[in-house]
Amino acid sequence: MANLKEIRSRITTVKNTRKITSAMSRIAAARLVKAQQAAMGARPYGERLDQVVGSLVASLGGESEGEEGAAHPLLLKRSGNGRVVIVHITADRGLAGGFNANINRAVVNFIRKEREAGNDVVLLTVGKKGRSFFQHSNQRIVRHHDAPTLADLVVKAKAIASEVMAMFTGGKEGGDTDLPQVDRVYFAYNYFKNVLTQQPRIEQLLPFESREIVNDERVLPVLEPGRDALLGHLLPIAVESRLQQAFFNSIAGEIAARRTAMDSASDNATQLIRELTLFYNRERQAAITKELMEIIGGAEALKG
Amino acid sequence: MADTTIKLDILTPLGPKRHGVVVPGVEVPGLLGELGVLPEHVPFITPIVPGVVRFRDGGDSVRIAVGAGFLEVTRDNRVVILVERALEVSEIDANKARDELKRVQADLSHDLGSIDAAEHRKLVTEQGWLEAQIRATAP
Repeated sequence: MANLKEIRSRITTVKNTRKITSAMSRIAAARLVKAQQAAMGARPYGERLDQVVGSLVASLGGESEGEEGAAHPLLLKRSGNGRVVIVHITADRGLAGGFNANINRAVVNFIRKEREAGNDVVLLTVGKKGRSFFQHSNQRIVRHHDAPTLADLVVKAKAIASEVMAMFTGGKEGGDTDLPQVDRVYFAYNYFKNVLTQQPRIEQLLPFESREIVNDERVLPVLEPGRDALLGHLLPIAVESRLQQAFFNSIAGEIAARRTAMDSASDNATQLIRELTLFYNRERQAAITKELMEIIGGAEALKG
Repeated sequence: MADTTIKLDILTPLGPKRHGVVVPGVEVPGLLGELGVLPEHVPFITPIVPGVVRFRDGGDSVRIAVGAGFLEVTRDNRVVILVERALEVSEIDANKARDELKRVQADLSHDLGSIDAAEHRKLVTEQGWLEAQIRATAP
């Protein structure tokens, strides 16, 4: 019976798919531990650095406001409309549930808002998924990097940090002519809250702002050399560090999202197989019964 | 009673190297020269350049090669060293570092014109980091 054969082949297909998804889930589970440890291990460094630089910037008070007199070029706030660049961090590969879609959607909304406010928006994409998403719309992408791995993350953060700093300070450094000048730099990534939750976040990178003012009752420490020279040394490191943190979160988040997605895909496949098998057995029995009835019917008719 | 020890943290983006070790003092390569931090130091922040961090952990004298970063002394006798990278002596391959250094120095010495400023700065950073590794392994 054709129908039975169809169901049988469908069951085989689903079983094969389940093999793939459960293998992917297991691979992700194995990699997750490492990525999670890396993300957690990196946090103390990033947070401490952020706090120190943040309190230094906060101690400048209003000095950093305004067009002139900023203590450091990376703190300079430019008023009025201009151009913003978003460092858009996604994964290189899909099959990770809503991981890429969530951050893409968040960035689309963000771009719309910026446009409505009269700003020009360009993107610097990190990760192939983000690039392919925005290539089809008329969004200008000034630079692309593939998604970082745990091995090349530090180097990549350095490279991207120097690109955005060059764009922000007006391309004086490096001499890259294809990078346009921008007035603000944002970065968008998935924050790794825990294995089940990744939050899309969009934060401002430049001009550098302290995240939350930690209410330091401590006396202001002795600075050597002076505050401005110290900021000159620390600000680029802090910018780099924020990108590093975003990468760590994004890598751990991608793997966690894939694990969760593949886990539930395997569960769904198991459920589907169970339903299909039940249906198949029922159909088979029905076919047998039908045949029996026909034979009996035929026999009865001969008797009569 | 004044404290006679300090608590030392060495943090890097790839995870902490040391966390809360109790040491009598620590020597670090500061931007303005080598400096030692002893207990009861005033709260203090200074940049660190690539070089060697030295301290005594129990009976052992420890040397760790560090990249650029900064040092922070807080009021509760805690010293935090935040650096972009750090390697223990046991993790350093001195011969490899020496070969790398030769290559970097060669790149730096001939035709400065063909490499741009960004590339030059990258090489100089690399040079400092390799020299730090070699110095850490030197007896």
